[in-house]
Amino acid sequence: MKARTTMKAETLSVEGLTVHYGGVCAVRDVSFEVPAGEAVGVIGANGAGKTSTLKAVMGLVPRQAGALRFGDLDLSKVAARDMVRHGVGYVPEGRHVFAGLSVEKNLLLGAYAKPWKAATRQTLGEMYELFPVLGEMRGRLAGALSGGQQQMLAIGRALMSRPRLLLLDEPSMGLSPKLISEILVVLQRLRAEGLSMLLVEQNAKLTFEATSTCLVVENGIVAMTGPVSKLRHDPRVRRIYLGL
Amino acid sequence: MRIKIAVVAGLGVLAWLLPYTIDSYAIHVVNVIIIFALLAVGLGLAMGVAGQVNLAQVAFFGVGAYATAILTTRAGLGFWFAAVLAIVITVVIGLLVGTPALRVQSHYLGIVTLGLALAFTNWVTNAQIAGGAEGISAIPAPELPGVDLSSEYLFYYLELIVFALALAFGLFVVRTGLGRRMRAMRDDSLAAGALGAEVPLLRMTAFLLASVYGGVAGVLYAGLIRFVAPESFGIANMFLLLGMVIIGGRQSLIGCVTGAVALYLVRELLSDHPTYAQIGYGAVVVLVVVFAPTGLAGIPPRLRALRRSSGTAARLQPFQAYETDVSSDDATILAIDGISKHFRGLKALDDVSLSVATGEIRGIVGPNGSGKTTLFNVISGLYKPTAGRVEFGGRDMTNVTPYRLSRAGLSRTFQNLRLFGDLTVRENVLVALDRSRTLDSWQYVLAPWLVSARDRRLRAEAGAVLDRFGLVEFAGQAPKALPYGIQRRVEIARAVAARPGLLLLDEPAAGLNGEEVRQLGEMVRSIRDSGVTVVLIEHNMGLVMSLCEKVTVLAGGRIIAEGTPAHVAATPAVIEAYLGDVMEIPTEATR
Amino acid sequence: MQVTLQTIIGGISLGAVYALVALGFSLVYRTMGLVNFAHGNVVTVGAYLASTFYLSTKLPFALAMIVAIAVTGVIGLVIERVLRPLENKDFDLMLIGTIGFGIVLDALIIMIWGATGRAVPSPVAGAPIELFGLRIRTYDLVVLAIAALATVLLVLFLSRTKRGAAMQAVAMDHEAATAVGINVGRSNAIAFMVGAGLAALAGGLVGPLLYVSPTLGGALGIKGFAAAILGGFGSIPGAVVGGLAIGVLDSFAAGHFQGYSELVTFLVFTAIIMIRPTGVFGERTVNRA
Repeated sequence: MKARTTMKAETLSVEGLTVHYGGVCAVRDVSFEVPAGEAVGVIGANGAGKTSTLKAVMGLVPRQAGALRFGDLDLSKVAARDMVRHGVGYVPEGRHVFAGLSVEKNLLLGAYAKPWKAATRQTLGEMYELFPVLGEMRGRLAGALSGGQQQMLAIGRALMSRPRLLLLDEPSMGLSPKLISEILVVLQRLRAEGLSMLLVEQNAKLTFEATSTCLVVENGIVAMTGPVSKLRHDPRVRRIYLGL
Repeated sequence: MRIKIAVVAGLGVLAWLLPYTIDSYAIHVVNVIIIFALLAVGLGLAMGVAGQVNLAQVAFFGVGAYATAILTTRAGLGFWFAAVLAIVITVVIGLLVGTPALRVQSHYLGIVTLGLALAFTNWVTNAQIAGGAEGISAIPAPELPGVDLSSEYLFYYLELIVFALALAFGLFVVRTGLGRRMRAMRDDSLAAGALGAEVPLLRMTAFLLASVYGGVAGVLYAGLIRFVAPESFGIANMFLLLGMVIIGGRQSLIGCVTGAVALYLVRELLSDHPTYAQIGYGAVVVLVVVFAPTGLAGIPPRLRALRRSSGTAARLQPFQAYETDVSSDDATILAIDGISKHFRGLKALDDVSLSVATGEIRGIVGPNGSGKTTLFNVISGLYKPTAGRVEFGGRDMTNVTPYRLSRAGLSRTFQNLRLFGDLTVRENVLVALDRSRTLDSWQYVLAPWLVSARDRRLRAEAGAVLDRFGLVEFAGQAPKALPYGIQRRVEIARAVAARPGLLLLDEPAAGLNGEEVRQLGEMVRSIRDSGVTVVLIEHNMGLVMSLCEKVTVLAGGRIIAEGTPAHVAATPAVIEAYLGDVMEIPTEATR
Repeated sequence: MQVTLQTIIGGISLGAVYALVALGFSLVYRTMGLVNFAHGNVVTVGAYLASTFYLSTKLPFALAMIVAIAVTGVIGLVIERVLRPLENKDFDLMLIGTIGFGIVLDALIIMIWGATGRAVPSPVAGAPIELFGLRIRTYDLVVLAIAALATVLLVLFLSRTKRGAAMQAVAMDHEAATAVGINVGRSNAIAFMVGAGLAALAGGLVGPLLYVSPTLGGALGIKGFAAAILGGFGSIPGAVVGGLAIGVLDSFAAGHFQGYSELVTFLVFTAIIMIRPTGVFGERTVNRA
């Protein structure tokens, strides 16, 4: 993909984010920032509130927040379906491709908010360049792809809208180490191109490779935060999340 | 309790005195209302309690009425003998109509039952014996020595007694083991099956109950009106009945009765404008599903919940360890031999063999998608393996249904928690504790005292289980409102309540914090010490390392390592597959 | 042989109508995951509207149909809007909600048009065509042609347009659909509107074939639903094949069992569903624990 030179300096800032599900508090008073062009990771155990955090930023679950801004824009007023129009792409947990539609339709739907014209065709070409396997499979039903291919498709679909911020929910889920390293290569490439990313992961090692700053979420609150270089040497993180 | 008895007695007296206060038309209306209330109770049992979308209830009603009419007028039988035969015929038809429920559910079952109901009206409209479109008139009134049942006033008392008995029986079923099991099946048929509920039999029981109530209502209708015609049993009345049950609240039999009374009265008040009445109750059905999905019956609990929300919060108590039972022998409790499971070409499990010794705690680890849960599903009978054999307790248990496995001593929890959401925590445990067979449900009719005695015993046992797991303060709450960690504990308590020999735990530590994981470890160890073999799938390597004697590692549907935790952790293939090459932490210099 | 062929031909035009009803069911199911039990009642509304415009206001048949389709489309929008709070939450409750709407529509039909029915004369004149000794009514050919055209248009809409793809995406995963910017509520509204339009098309076409009465849609709705399930619920070709199959089955049953045809049709349908619950084109889904 071409370098994103026209990018505005937009920081995602989240302050005091809280999510309730029917009386149960899944996320409590979480605050963080994703500076423009940076990649931030969120690690934690299953059910710790990582996915809820991401979905709340996206507006897919009811949220309360002190402040939720993307650059100058107040995101707390933006409906989930309009996030993509403000430059926020989303890769859901468990991939969630449109299983009964072809690979190409899936990608085109990623650009649903834009007219399906020449520019979109060009982006489609770029996706096939970034993920050659999707090009080979363009006519296949997305549901017939392997887990790794579906993950590529889910990322590709989100990139089709040419987002300035990408939210990724557990892209490593259920993938073999070889595929995880392929995903990592893609993430690192996107980061090098200046795309801002918020990566939620159980796989701490992948997250540490792909991001520069990380939050550790436990029981719905931020237990720890800091640059990856520091967290990597934290004895608690090493024991619980790296299994060392 | 005393208030309840007083209310019931008061209602009884009022009902007994009612005929003295109303004219002959009103008593006719009341008589018809009682018949609809009976039908509504039957539909409530099938649809609200057991979750079976039965749109043939009005046809059961018709079968009962027509059978009575035909047997009395055509075969010349006496009313009572004809009535008994009619109910038997209705039950047979009911069971036949219910058979598709063994294969299909939800809207599929709805259309099949609706179609069969139409088939019934089609038959009576055409059959000579059923009088065609004109129907059958001059059905003899039921005769009872000294009582003239052709008087609607006296017929009322007959109906009242039958109705009171039928309602009491329905409530008895709902509040004891059978009803609990049906409600569990409604909330989650998979989990109910895994806890020993014979799902196919329960579905048929639901249709059996619905048809008994339909048949009785039909007999009473034939005796009351003494004329049957096809239009009384058509789709319009089916939807009226459905409206009664939905508006009243399908999960509560009292609600169903209330709905029947209310809706019929509205229809009667607007009898000069039947179409307005129809618009009215159609609109109410829509409004109820959108704004009050639990119907009229759901309103009082909602109000109570509003009032109580500021009460003191229930607290989780510590788990109390079991007595140690060290009578374990070294026999093999579970032996899996060459199991493969393919989904449309995807090999989820590929020639997996392993055996677990009695009294062991076995860990199964592996990357997401490596086939761990599929393996559990094969062992617990949810999936049929493509190839291979499962031996449990020394017997071949391949392709055995989940409920049989449960009864043979296998119990499990689910990765995504499958608690019965509309049952209380206590009832969740009771479903598991109740090891009686659904086939023994004849006791409900012939020996109800045995049923109540068993239920009392089970309640005492449930109290003990809840106490042991520190859940007493949550006993009366619905699990879906509880925090995740407590729901996890409820599910384990429920699985153990089934008194298994082998317990399968699917990611029991998922979503738990450090302290909760520590408690879980203690709990599992104590459960094992009480004589239960435990196999657990887990990602939390710390827990696996400290808890398991032996660990099996799956990757890509195959076993890649097996042995003590320390041995497995050092196996290169495991590091490669599970820990992975990206997992190697590069030093800062390589970046 | 000749008799058999004649029976099949007799069943096909009604089968085409069943197919249209089934398409409406399948479209709503495919794009929303919902079974619309009011669909049959919408068919009746469509039949009455089309026949009213055709008979009373003397509009040409085609124009009367278009007006009827537009009006029922609005009814579809209303149903979707009222039940929207239940969307993606409680499938069974929503199903009962549509039954409630069916009850209301039924009453409205009787209020507006009365309880008695009406006969609609065939809009195409001309004697039946004789072909190899078989008699084919011209209007049957019209019905077949329109049903085929509607099917082709629907397939093209779903497979070739952005909106069609988006509507299917909504049923497959409403959250992912939201994330790519699709307005799920609007997509569902359109699905309901098109579904209701198909119902009106079926109702309008069936007018000259059958007697238009308040109970018309009940029978058509149930058979159309049966057709959709028989073909594999949610599958467009399945709806067509299922519709034609039910039509032919109906025709055979009427020929051999006279008044008992409905009984036979539903018994056969039940047997088929028990043998193959997923229908002809249906896919088996994996039960996840």
